[in-house]
Amino acid sequence: MKNVIKLLATLFCLFLLVAQAVAGEINLAVAASLKEVTNELSDSFAKTHPGVKFLKNYGASGALAKQIVSGAPSDIFIAANPEWMEYAKNKNLIDSATIGTFTYNTLIFAGAPGKASSMRDLIKLDRIAIGSPRSVPAGEYATEAIKKAGLDKHLEKKLVMAKDVRECLMYAERGEVDGAFVYKTDALLAKQAMILFTVPPDLYPQVTYPMALTVAGAKNKDAAAFFTYLHSGEAKTVLVKYGFAPH
Amino acid sequence: MIPLAPSDYDAIRLSLQVALAATLLSIPFGFGVAYLITFVKFRGKMLLEVFVNLPLTLPPVVVGYFLLLLLGKHGWLGSLLNNAGIRLIFTLKAAVIASAVVGFPLLVRSLRVCMEGIDRQLINASRTLGAPWYDTLLTVILPLSLPGLIAGSSLMFARSLGEFGATIIVAGNIPGVTQTIPLAIYEYASSPTSETMALALCLVSVVISMAVLFMHELMARKMSRRD
Repeated sequence: MKNVIKLLATLFCLFLLVAQAVAGEINLAVAASLKEVTNELSDSFAKTHPGVKFLKNYGASGALAKQIVSGAPSDIFIAANPEWMEYAKNKNLIDSATIGTFTYNTLIFAGAPGKASSMRDLIKLDRIAIGSPRSVPAGEYATEAIKKAGLDKHLEKKLVMAKDVRECLMYAERGEVDGAFVYKTDALLAKQAMILFTVPPDLYPQVTYPMALTVAGAKNKDAAAFFTYLHSGEAKTVLVKYGFAPH
Repeated sequence: MIPLAPSDYDAIRLSLQVALAATLLSIPFGFGVAYLITFVKFRGKMLLEVFVNLPLTLPPVVVGYFLLLLLGKHGWLGSLLNNAGIRLIFTLKAAVIASAVVGFPLLVRSLRVCMEGIDRQLINASRTLGAPWYDTLLTVILPLSLPGLIAGSSLMFARSLGEFGATIIVAGNIPGVTQTIPLAIYEYASSPTSETMALALCLVSVVISMAVLFMHELMARKMSRRD
């Protein structure tokens, strides 16, 4: 009997320890194009807030929204398209009072030099990488631009679907596609691929990154503190450093 | 009724095309390798056996990545093909190659089992009657391996229908060109707004796989009933 009580007491103590470990965690669900910015901001936040642990989930905003709705733990959601924030909000998973704009971006076409210099030139290309418009905002913006430019029929069988904008960039870097629709900020990180042209802004809506605390995140003190940090001047400096527009 | 978009019909057609092409392409090589492993003694046979079975145990993504390294623009074989104007990556040909590589061990396995079951007396008899090895191969071994060939082919066909990891790496997800059923489902599954579309295509996939596997079972039974 004494041994059983000892075992139960030990298990209980372990359970308490585990509960404590969960307390300092911040679950981030962030659009893939904000990976470097978020890494730098979370690192500098962690320096001034020891004991805080970040669990980062980078990916296409649509896929992230789906994961959040399916129950993936998230405290902060930053999407690359207001559509996905709306979607999560309609599923009652977002603290709507906290919804704001993190930053903006521009859509460009990247590839090997000389491949194309305007939207019209795309017809001559063989393979074009684009985020899957079903879940990747960069793909949604690009699809709209292609449609508005009247090129959708011409480009029908040339589009290679990527699972997020970074995979798009990777395809362009590898050279297996002629070019890719990525954000200007992604192209700045590219080594082989260059910005060939900027997609005319009248062809697609402005790339806006909404940010918010989730319902669970609003109850998480560390998450709320980091969320406030994301609004700070320091955060804006990091955004500008990576080529984003400061909000 | 089941909602299927035009791109879904494309995916089904492409899946069947790739699986058929991969299987037909692999049959002569599979037969050759199975014959070598079963009937010919040579040094390093175990290495061949391990090599042939490797795609079965390796994660398909690894197989795909190695194929990309081999056949990509800057790859060992790919750069030569590129100079000749042949592009494989992100085409249907790459999807066929990926399925062929991944399914090859299954074909060889089935053929080996069948070939090992051939009565050696028949082979010896043909040899003592003066038949050269290729005559024995074509008139004795080949007909007797047919059940194994059909069973292995149907298994390989089914595997090719479900091939995802290697395919997405070397052939990419190009609707209407290389987007097979698993790739289409993957795209649907990543989106929160395509639940029913994903389910519909999953159902089609299950129906096709069941049909192929039934055929495989029938063939397997015929094979065991032979003796």
